[in-house]
Amino acid sequence: MGVGVGGACAKGEGKVYAGNLNVAAKRARDIILGKLKLGEVVDWATTFSLWPVHLVTSCCGAEFAATWSPRFDAEQYGALPWISPRQTNFIIIEGTVTRKMACALRITYEQMAHPKFVIAMGACALDGGLFYNSYNVVKPWEIVPVDVYIAGCPPPPEALARAILDLRKKIREKKMASNWLREGWRGDVEYPMPKEDPCKWWQP
Amino acid sequence: MSLPELGEEIRVRLGVLAREVKVAKGFVEVVTGRETLREVAKTLKEMGFDHVKSVTAVDYPKEGKIRVTYHASSFLNEELSRFMVGLSVDLPRDKPVVETLYPIWNSVEFMEREVYEFFGVIFEGHPDLRPLLLAPDLAEKKVMRKDFVVREESIYEGVPHEYK
Repeated sequence: MGVGVGGACAKGEGKVYAGNLNVAAKRARDIILGKLKLGEVVDWATTFSLWPVHLVTSCCGAEFAATWSPRFDAEQYGALPWISPRQTNFIIIEGTVTRKMACALRITYEQMAHPKFVIAMGACALDGGLFYNSYNVVKPWEIVPVDVYIAGCPPPPEALARAILDLRKKIREKKMASNWLREGWRGDVEYPMPKEDPCKWWQP
Repeated sequence: MSLPELGEEIRVRLGVLAREVKVAKGFVEVVTGRETLREVAKTLKEMGFDHVKSVTAVDYPKEGKIRVTYHASSFLNEELSRFMVGLSVDLPRDKPVVETLYPIWNSVEFMEREVYEFFGVIFEGHPDLRPLLLAPDLAEKKVMRKDFVVREESIYEGVPHEYK
């Protein structure tokens, strides 16, 4: 509450107390995440609750499925694929991104909950791969900020598991999750706006 | 029935409607004009070719023509199901307009849409002629024609900002 009238106490009678909620919230945030070192706990907790969203755009989806199968079992790293972008914080771009899919990727990324992380998987997600120099393929790093890249065509499940471990390491070393909560935005990566609107073809 | 026999039968059935009937490796190729395309298709359907497997097009920029090819085959007639017939029609490159074969073979609907978006061939009388796979702004450029130039990328262009 920003403004309160002190009526009950006789000493404060007739006085109006005013405060700025944003300033108070920032102070509380700085104390909790800065002085009390709760940020490290946030980072540690985030590494064990990575929820990737299904965005299977290409054949890397098969390797993605194999990574969560009993043999490689990526769930032991605290990552479980989930269906709705609203309930996830982690996206794995599985292969080629066409122009129509770039729009879906951007919309999915915007819908995800903070703090969110991106892994680009496979040669197609790096620079086009097989479909290099194509008229209908865009690069994912022009659409969303990518944290970890995986090489390979397609990368084996071990590589994807390793990338998840690398992302966990990066989150704890760079304090990505707690910094995001503190500042409200990610300072360590550039947040790309697409050069051309990926959804310009879309008509409701 | 062997393949040359089938080619002879098609040649007799079509008569003057077909411009050219030749037996290629594995299938019979029929070339016809724009006006007689529907009648040829009707005749082939009466013979027992009841569906179209693919619709494709080839661009010949030097000769100024686009050749649209329908590959028809049969499900119901067991003897004919071993063979395939290619029905081709030559269209002028600057104005590729042809009557649709949708009333004869229903399976051409999506494939004609695909030829429309990649080559800009307009099928008159098609029930729903709009791009199938590509975004509309890209379909306007007729990307599978030979004169569509893809932007060449250098190898360093594809490197993300942080690694430059």
